[in-house]
Amino acid sequence: MEIDPLPNGSGSVGTTIPEAAATTTAATAALKTTPSSKLSQLTESLKLEHQLLRVPFEHYKKTIRANHRAVEKEVSSVISSVADVADCNEPSKEDAVLNLTSLVSRLQGLKRKLEEGSRTENLQAQRCRARLDHLESVDAENLSEWNNVRLKRILVDYMLRMSYYDTAMKLAESSNIQDLVDIDVFQEAKKVIDALRNQEVGPALAWCVDNKSRLKKSKSKFEFQLRLQEFIELVRAENHMRAILYARRHLAPWGATHLKELQRVMATLAFRSNTGCAKYKVLFEPKQWDFLVDQFKQEFCRLYGMTLEPLLNIYLQAGLSALKTPYCYEDDCTKEDPLSQDSFRKLALPLPYSKQHHSKLVCYITKELMDTENPPQVLPNGYVYSTKALKEMAEKNNGTITCPRTGLVCNYSELVKAYIS
Amino acid sequence: MELNSLKDAFDRVAKKQKLSFSKTQEVMDLIFQEIEKAIEMMQSTTFDYKSVLAELKKKLHEIAPLSQLEGTQKELNIALSKYPKALEKILNPDISKAYRNIEFDSNTVNQIIASHFYRLGLFDVGDCFINETGEAEAAVAMRSLFQEMYQMLEAMKSRNLEPALKWAAVNSDKLKENGSDLQLKLHHLQFVKILQKGSRDEALKYARTNFAPFAANHMAEIQKLMGCLLYSDRLQDSPYAHLLSPTNWDVVAEELTRQFCNLLGQSYESPLNVTIAAGVQGLPPLLKFMTVMAGKKQEWQSMKQLPVPVELDKEFQFHPIFVCPVSKEQSTDDNPPMLMSCGHVLCKQSINKMSKNSSKSFKCPYCPSDIDATQCRQLNF
Repeated sequence: MEIDPLPNGSGSVGTTIPEAAATTTAATAALKTTPSSKLSQLTESLKLEHQLLRVPFEHYKKTIRANHRAVEKEVSSVISSVADVADCNEPSKEDAVLNLTSLVSRLQGLKRKLEEGSRTENLQAQRCRARLDHLESVDAENLSEWNNVRLKRILVDYMLRMSYYDTAMKLAESSNIQDLVDIDVFQEAKKVIDALRNQEVGPALAWCVDNKSRLKKSKSKFEFQLRLQEFIELVRAENHMRAILYARRHLAPWGATHLKELQRVMATLAFRSNTGCAKYKVLFEPKQWDFLVDQFKQEFCRLYGMTLEPLLNIYLQAGLSALKTPYCYEDDCTKEDPLSQDSFRKLALPLPYSKQHHSKLVCYITKELMDTENPPQVLPNGYVYSTKALKEMAEKNNGTITCPRTGLVCNYSELVKAYIS
Repeated sequence: MELNSLKDAFDRVAKKQKLSFSKTQEVMDLIFQEIEKAIEMMQSTTFDYKSVLAELKKKLHEIAPLSQLEGTQKELNIALSKYPKALEKILNPDISKAYRNIEFDSNTVNQIIASHFYRLGLFDVGDCFINETGEAEAAVAMRSLFQEMYQMLEAMKSRNLEPALKWAAVNSDKLKENGSDLQLKLHHLQFVKILQKGSRDEALKYARTNFAPFAANHMAEIQKLMGCLLYSDRLQDSPYAHLLSPTNWDVVAEELTRQFCNLLGQSYESPLNVTIAAGVQGLPPLLKFMTVMAGKKQEWQSMKQLPVPVELDKEFQFHPIFVCPVSKEQSTDDNPPMLMSCGHVLCKQSINKMSKNSSKSFKCPYCPSDIDATQCRQLNF
């Protein structure tokens, strides 16, 4: 192919060559020409990855703490057992030996457990490292692949939060990103959620005990809410004596901080489950269990340092707002714009429009940006297209231009350059 | 970014954890040995077993295993609390700060996700997703649309062009309308493939039947291909060696994808991909703004337009945006951009203001020209 020398100067030949290259190389070329802004953009985007590093670390920390507690407990119990044997008034020699031997095997068991625990810890440490390495690995060459992985991570996060575990696992496996997603962490949540969906509070309460100190720190009342629900179930079953005993034992300790709610629930003893009184009727509705599931998810996310909303929703919102312009909702919106699709338009409806401080003109014909290198030109009817598009058209048609939107025919020489600042 | 300091902080945690583990083991071994020794002594008759027991108790008390563990544990705890603090300092601890509290309809979101999987060719994952969500049925249409495309692309990966050629032949008119020479490009690949097998006659025959319709517009390319015929048995050492490069196949596969999406009325890039990428670029300035505006959360929830400009890369620019350089407002139908006689462009309202409603001429804010407001022309981008 031959590149015609362009009529308005020699410098433009140099600019047409990179533009002729494929779009993929154009993207990398842009990376090379403006490294500093691209680099700071990349840095900014990495700063959004707090959750990626935080969650496996919280998991790791939890394992370390649990293992340590187990060791402490066993060791002190072994020592006190030895003391018991020694302090016993009349131990037979055989008994004493037997006791000590059982302690030895107990210690052996503990040692095995300790080694096993350490293996888990090391695996989790590896995962934390893998994520740091993943953040470090991104550069201009692998950026688009890295971005694809990021979207997959975001999707797995969404699916885990929405309890679509099978797809989450399938996607993680097929893309080989298991180390970058938190499937194992959510397995813990799955047990509790499944139980709550079956209207069982046991696993949820056990989870509260496991994480007691941290829940207390964040002033969580999730356990109280579980207890209230159990109480309601006793009332529903007309098991009033047990309900009262239960309330004494498990609800009363919360009285100091949550007296209002406690009183309201106690009143159901009088109103019963078939009450028509709206205030108490809702307490017996099955959707209370859904509410508990949502509450649990929130507590769970908070504990692991996750965002309360799925990452997908956060990025979608920001992206939709940044892309949203009044033109997106017009019929001739280009299909390359996500907001040309009904589903995206629907999601963007309650979101704010983007804001621009500088003009950004896209040529109607080539969809390319019009700037000083490819300046906009005005047809006699006021329609504006890029120099590149108009020149190409003129070359093909002996200098005449046909406006693609109005059908107006004019000569290339009638065009006027517009200066946009 | 200070990823290195994060790595250091984490290394410290891992080191202290190892230290704590080996200390625990050491202490346990110690207890273990003492008890074993005691058992041994008790079983021999030379020692009084009671005093052995008392001795063991005393020993264990002296070892004080728990306080021995305390030291390393404390160091570990310090490292454990430092790492998350470093994370919070260097990274953005809460990216949901700029989140507007609205419920996204999960059915719509799921539909978008399922379509995304299908258009990426992840049919298994997409099927699994639709199964699990029990909704997003609408995306099934996407599945059958894109299945055809991936069959063609898969076949191309094993160097089989038949499905792609067939599709291009069926759609040749539409392709021509879009100005795409995909069909020729496919024939081109097929021609080189035949030639590579060494059958010059067959290649020539193929060229005769298939290149003729493109002769009018693509003479140069066809001539080049015919030139290859001279080197049929040693193409890799010929001036045409570049025709053998596998990247040619990738380029054509990309063009095929582009044209296929185009004919389907779909975008080339997955819209979910585009939106999330825009979100990644848009989020940092929004978060920065929210940190500054910490007190005005309420306003954020109801704003009609983002309070700060969010600059996206030009691949996200789908619509022409004109911002009046004088009023800094975006143009609208009521306030369109106007071309002044000097070639500079302002919004109508700004021109009205400066010309006192066209009652007098004014000076262009960008050059020394005198502007007559009645001579300004409305622009359509």
